[in-house]
Amino acid sequence: MAAYDTFIAKEFKDVQEDEEMLTVIRDLTPGKAKYRSTYAKIRVSKDPKKYPETLWVRLGRGQLIETPCSMQIMEFVDVIPKGM
Amino acid sequence: MAYKYYKDNRAYIEALKKTGDLVVVNDEVDWDLEMGAIVRRMCERKSPAAHFKKIKDYPDFEALGAPMATHRRLAIAFGLDPATPIPQISAEYLKRTTGSPVKPKIIDRKDAPCKEIVWSGEDANLFNLPAPMVHDGDGGRYICTWHFVVAKDYDTDFVNWGMYRQMAFDEKTMVGPVLAFSDMGKMFYNKYVPRNLPMPFATVISPDPLSAIASSAPSPLPEAEFTGMLMGEPVEVVKCETCDLYVPAHAEIIIEGVVLPNVMIDESPFGEYTGYRTSPREKRTVYRVKAITMRKKSILAVSNMGVPTDEGQLLRSFSLGLEMERMLKDQGIPVTGVYMLPESTHHLVVVGVKPIYANIATQIGQLVFGSKLGPWFHLVVVVDDTTDIYNKDEIIHALSTKCNPATGIRITEHGVGTPLNPFVSPEQRKYGAAPKVIFDCTFPLNWPASELPVKVAFNSVYPKEIQEKVLSKWNQYGFKD
Ligand SMILES: Cc1cc2nc3c(=O)[nH]c(=O)nc-3n(C[C@H](O)[C@H](O)[C@H](O)COP(=O)(O)O)c2cc1C
Repeated sequence: MAAYDTFIAKEFKDVQEDEEMLTVIRDLTPGKAKYRSTYAKIRVSKDPKKYPETLWVRLGRGQLIETPCSMQIMEFVDVIPKGM
Repeated sequence: MAYKYYKDNRAYIEALKKTGDLVVVNDEVDWDLEMGAIVRRMCERKSPAAHFKKIKDYPDFEALGAPMATHRRLAIAFGLDPATPIPQISAEYLKRTTGSPVKPKIIDRKDAPCKEIVWSGEDANLFNLPAPMVHDGDGGRYICTWHFVVAKDYDTDFVNWGMYRQMAFDEKTMVGPVLAFSDMGKMFYNKYVPRNLPMPFATVISPDPLSAIASSAPSPLPEAEFTGMLMGEPVEVVKCETCDLYVPAHAEIIIEGVVLPNVMIDESPFGEYTGYRTSPREKRTVYRVKAITMRKKSILAVSNMGVPTDEGQLLRSFSLGLEMERMLKDQGIPVTGVYMLPESTHHLVVVGVKPIYANIATQIGQLVFGSKLGPWFHLVVVVDDTTDIYNKDEIIHALSTKCNPATGIRITEHGVGTPLNPFVSPEQRKYGAAPKVIFDCTFPLNWPASELPVKVAFNSVYPKEIQEKVLSKWNQYGFKD
């Protein structure tokens, strides 16, 4: 189970569970590339065991929600235009 | 004639070491929060700077923490005695930057230390640089906290150096706020974006101290020429690997690439100069990396913004205040001095004036709020020349005794602000709007002389000869201060 985190612009209670959403996730694997960000389409559950990856949620100013969620990564998305 | 200055951070580090203004940290420190926590505590305690010799995961790099977070270090950057009082450091800045701009000098790449190592292609990977996680909860690793971005205007020769923070998003991408009213914002959003053209940039990390001061100063001059004025001779620059921009040759690390038009990605939150994380996670300007060049064993400089006092407050207060003083004097306003308090996170400025006509405080406030400097502060305290603008006790005394709450406080509701402003509403932050206020701490001119309160202070209510006598015998009386 790899660990990631994400920032949400809304209140934690308003996070839509099990619905595909496009967001930025950060890879928390220790090492030189820790905190590497990537856009991805993901599904989230507040049940920490439902999906394969751990997802920690932070609010817009970095406040950490103490209990982790779980997440399924559907697809990584490159938002930078090709060739740039 | 060249002034005394340091050509690079290595010489500056040696100077700081000599005066006891730097601690060498030989223990390994972790780039992931530990280094940030140390630098934060240093700022809050006004400790010496730190030279970190070993960084976890990055044996080929060192770091310089809090390069200029005290007035002592600012004085040293100017080649002055570290104990130089603030008004004298200010006078030195104004003296050096009055006169003709000094164009930079181009040197050959073989003489440029910043070309000792060149990474291009896959090697130009941001995660090969020891970007710190500065504060827990930041949106990413801020590789650029003591640096500047070089960019050229699309259709003029104007080249801007501006200190605009940058976060490592992935191996090849940085992101950061380029505010619309900043010099780079104006050229990028007005000229490159409408043409859908990428704008070449070069980020200069760990520049020499005077280039850093110039890049964060709100001067209308091109900062390379402003740096030359501060140095008293041209700053040495060298051509970039991937574009026609020139960068200071003695800097530690250069990141080259393009700023992408019409695409924005998520940046922040970040611990900001106000002492809060205020500006939200938001889509901001994208920098794509093409090449990285650097010195051997390069020293990444790290500024850690938060509650006072860090570079974002100390240095910005210093140059904002002085550029304001220059502007007011250019307008013929009889100001006696301007001091922006670093503790106010450059939100409060004290202007000393000879109040020779009515409503001069309002005129001063309107001028400074209406200038290019205006978005960065919202409290203007105007005092007369009986108040020492550098003395906080005297400022509080003037504010509490001379400012009439009904007639002396003038509020402007619709001023220009920044998204970093903690006290405005989320909506106002989004649109960079902020109210402003002037505190007029001068007594009205139409009060008869007989009605004017007389200030009761040692230097105002005793005859000169009594003052002199008391001063000359002070220690003899038994006082030690
Ligand atoms: C440590 C530090 C970090 C800064 N970060 C930013 C930033 O991210 N964005 C910004 O617009 N200004 C930032 N500033 C302020 C600019 O450097 C400053 O406004 C400078 O004058 C550049 O302005 P210009 O756009 O007028 O050239 C920072 C200043 C300091 C000292």
